[in-house]
Amino acid sequence: MTKLVAAVEHIVKGIVQHPDDVQVAARSSARGQVLDVTVNPKDLGRVIGRSGKTAKAIRTVIDSLATDESVRVNIVDVDS
Amino acid sequence: MNEQQTVTIAEIEEESELAADFIEELLDIADLDGDLEIEISERRAIISVSAEEDVLIDLSKTDAVTALQEIVRLVVQNKTGRYSRLVLDIGGSRKKREGELARLVERAVERLDAGASFAELPPMSSYERKIIHSLVAERGYSSESKGEGAQRRTIIRPA
Repeated sequence: MTKLVAAVEHIVKGIVQHPDDVQVAARSSARGQVLDVTVNPKDLGRVIGRSGKTAKAIRTVIDSLATDESVRVNIVDVDS
Repeated sequence: MNEQQTVTIAEIEEESELAADFIEELLDIADLDGDLEIEISERRAIISVSAEEDVLIDLSKTDAVTALQEIVRLVVQNKTGRYSRLVLDIGGSRKKREGELARLVERAVERLDAGASFAELPPMSSYERKIIHSLVAERGYSSESKGEGAQRRTIIRPA
């Protein structure tokens, strides 16, 4: 899981304008592993993308790296 | 963010370096052993990742390649402030996809030969539509794109 946390961190830090504010934390849920991604509120739009396109791309890449585990990438909406 | 904007070779080289650094680190994090090759063709950077054996098998699936290409473009754009059209190839994914596109054109041409007045292909990126247009022209048919944004697709007609 540390491998996937580092992969998500690398990807998200590359996309945002405030890489120092990026945090990725792994937790277990009833439906498997979840990676919670927190970014600077100003970067939320960049990470989600138009109609969620960027968030979807991040999930697809992480799924392809997560060979023998199921993992969900959750982008935390800091305003909610 | 205009796609038609002209870019210099130096800018494309800068793009490919940034992309290669990002991908190399990602492969490193993921414990995947891959070799990177950079090529510049028709004013696009093409980054190819290859590996011995099947280590890239999951990442070389069309959906994964499209997704990673999208991410790499955003990373590059974030650094340069310019729109990036770079193309990513993982484990020969581009060749495989070109084979799929050729088969789509083949089936469309069969429909036209059977009497259809036109054949419509599924929505594709500008890069893939360009490949389709040249495959169609090689076969002596005509093609045009229609639809907006993610829905833009190619219509093939008898010449």
